[in-house]
Amino acid sequence: MVITRQGETTILDEQDTRLTLKTENLEIKLLITAIKEKTGYDLSGYAQASIKRRIKQLVVDENVGHISDLIAKLLHSPQSESHFINSLTVNVSELFRHPQSFLQLRESVLPYLASFPRRDIWIAGCSTGEEAYSMAILLEEVGLLKNTQIHATDINTDVLKKAQTGVLSKALNKGDAARYQASGGTASLSKYFSTAYNKNKLSQFLLDHISFSHHNILQDQVFCSAQLVLCRNVMIYFDIETQCHALTLFNNSLVQNGYLVIGEKESLINTPFCRLLKTIDEPAKIYQRKNLENV
Amino acid sequence: MSDFSVFIGGSAGSIAPLISILSRLPANFSPSITLVIHSNEDSKSTVTDVIANNCPLTVIEISDKGHFKSNTVHVAPGGYHLYVENKKHFSLSIDKKIHFSRPSIDVLFTSAAEVFKNHCIAILLSGANGDGAEGLLNIKKHGGLTVAQSPASAQVDIMPQTAIDKGAAAKVLSPKEISHLLLRINDEYSLL
Repeated sequence: MVITRQGETTILDEQDTRLTLKTENLEIKLLITAIKEKTGYDLSGYAQASIKRRIKQLVVDENVGHISDLIAKLLHSPQSESHFINSLTVNVSELFRHPQSFLQLRESVLPYLASFPRRDIWIAGCSTGEEAYSMAILLEEVGLLKNTQIHATDINTDVLKKAQTGVLSKALNKGDAARYQASGGTASLSKYFSTAYNKNKLSQFLLDHISFSHHNILQDQVFCSAQLVLCRNVMIYFDIETQCHALTLFNNSLVQNGYLVIGEKESLINTPFCRLLKTIDEPAKIYQRKNLENV
Repeated sequence: MSDFSVFIGGSAGSIAPLISILSRLPANFSPSITLVIHSNEDSKSTVTDVIANNCPLTVIEISDKGHFKSNTVHVAPGGYHLYVENKKHFSLSIDKKIHFSRPSIDVLFTSAAEVFKNHCIAILLSGANGDGAEGLLNIKKHGGLTVAQSPASAQVDIMPQTAIDKGAAAKVLSPKEISHLLLRINDEYSLL
C-alpha cells in the first residue's frame, strides 16, 4: 500500500493505538461479565460498536479514568447497579413513531384482529410508554379498546415507572400531531390527554388497558400469547445471533396468523424468519405468522 | 471483494463536492463507500436519491445489520447513528445526538477506525459544525488515510478546518483532487 501509508513515524503511534484498543476491548468484556455476575443482566448479546460508545460515555459521566474502573464502582456502590443497566440500554420513544406503520395497522391489521373475541397485544421494549399510548389511542379509534389488553414490557425499571404514570416525557407538540395525522388520526390528539402544569397525561380510560411489566427479551421466556407483537427499535441494539433469539421469542408468542411489527430500519432479510413470517407490508415493517401447515 | 473501505462525512455545503467526487468514479469502483451526511430529518428528498441520480455506483440506504457491498455507496438513514459493527456489516442506534447530529460522523469514523484500521480512507467535507474531526483523528491514529476538503474549496469551512486544526487531516484536497486520489487507490487495489 503506497498511497495510504503516512510515513514511518506514525507506525509506532499505530502500535500504541492498537494496544489501547485491545486493552479497551478486554476491559469491556470484563465489565460485561461483572455486570452479569453482579446483576444477572447479560449484555453480551448487544451490538458491540454501540454498546462500546455507551460504555465510554459512562466512563466520562462517572468521572473515572478507565473502563475497568467501572467494575469497582459496580461492585462497591449499591446504587450503581440499576444506573449502569439504565445507562447502557437506550430509551428513546415518541408518539406514533413511524406513522406509515400505524396507518397500516389501522387499515389492514386491526380489522383482522376484530374477529377475535378478545385481544392481547405485546409491546416488547416499551421504553417510556409512548408506543403503548399510541396503540391504545388507535384501538379506541377503531372501536377495539374494549376486550383488548396491551402488555408493555421493558428491561429498564426506571422507564417502566415513568411509563406507568401516563405522563408524557415531552409536552405534546406539532410533530406529535403531524405523526398522529399521518397515522390516519382525524381527531385532535390532545383530546386523549389531560393537561396540568404543562404536562400531558394519557386519559385514565386508555391507561387502564395497558399493563406495564419488567421483562428481559434476552433472558426471559415468552411474555404472553398475543395476536400482535410490536418490537421496534429494540433489536438494532442486539447482535445478529441475539436478534434471532428475540425473533424466535416473538414468533413463539404469536398465535397463528398473528402479526409482528418491527422498526423502520430493521430487517428480517438474512434471518430464518423470512420463511416463518409472511411479509404483509415491507415499508411498514408488518409481518404475519404463517399457518404451521404452510411452512 | 476489496477489504479496503471509503468513509465520507459532510454537512452544510457537502452535497456539491460529494457529487463532484462520486460522479468521477467508475461503476466498477471496488472499495465500498459509506456516507454520513447531515440533513434535515423531515426533508422529502433524501441524500440517497440525490446521490443515486449523480453517481454511476449503486446507492442504497442502510438497514440495521446491512452488509458492506462492493461497487456500492451506503448511505446512513436520517435519525440513526451508523456504526461499523465488523468487516461484514453495519449497525444502527438511536443514542443521543453528538454535535447536535444523528447520524454523527464521529460515530461512523471512530467505529470504522477500530475495524478497518489502516485499510480505509476517511474524507471530511464542507460543514458548519465540529462533528467528524475527532473521528477523523481516530482514523489517523489507527493508520488509515485521512483527508479534509480544502477550506478554500469548501462552501462552509468550519468542519474541515476543525479537523485540520486538530491535526487529523493527513491531506487537504479539493473535491477534484479527492476523486483522483480515490481512482489511484482503486487502481492500486485492483493490482493486488
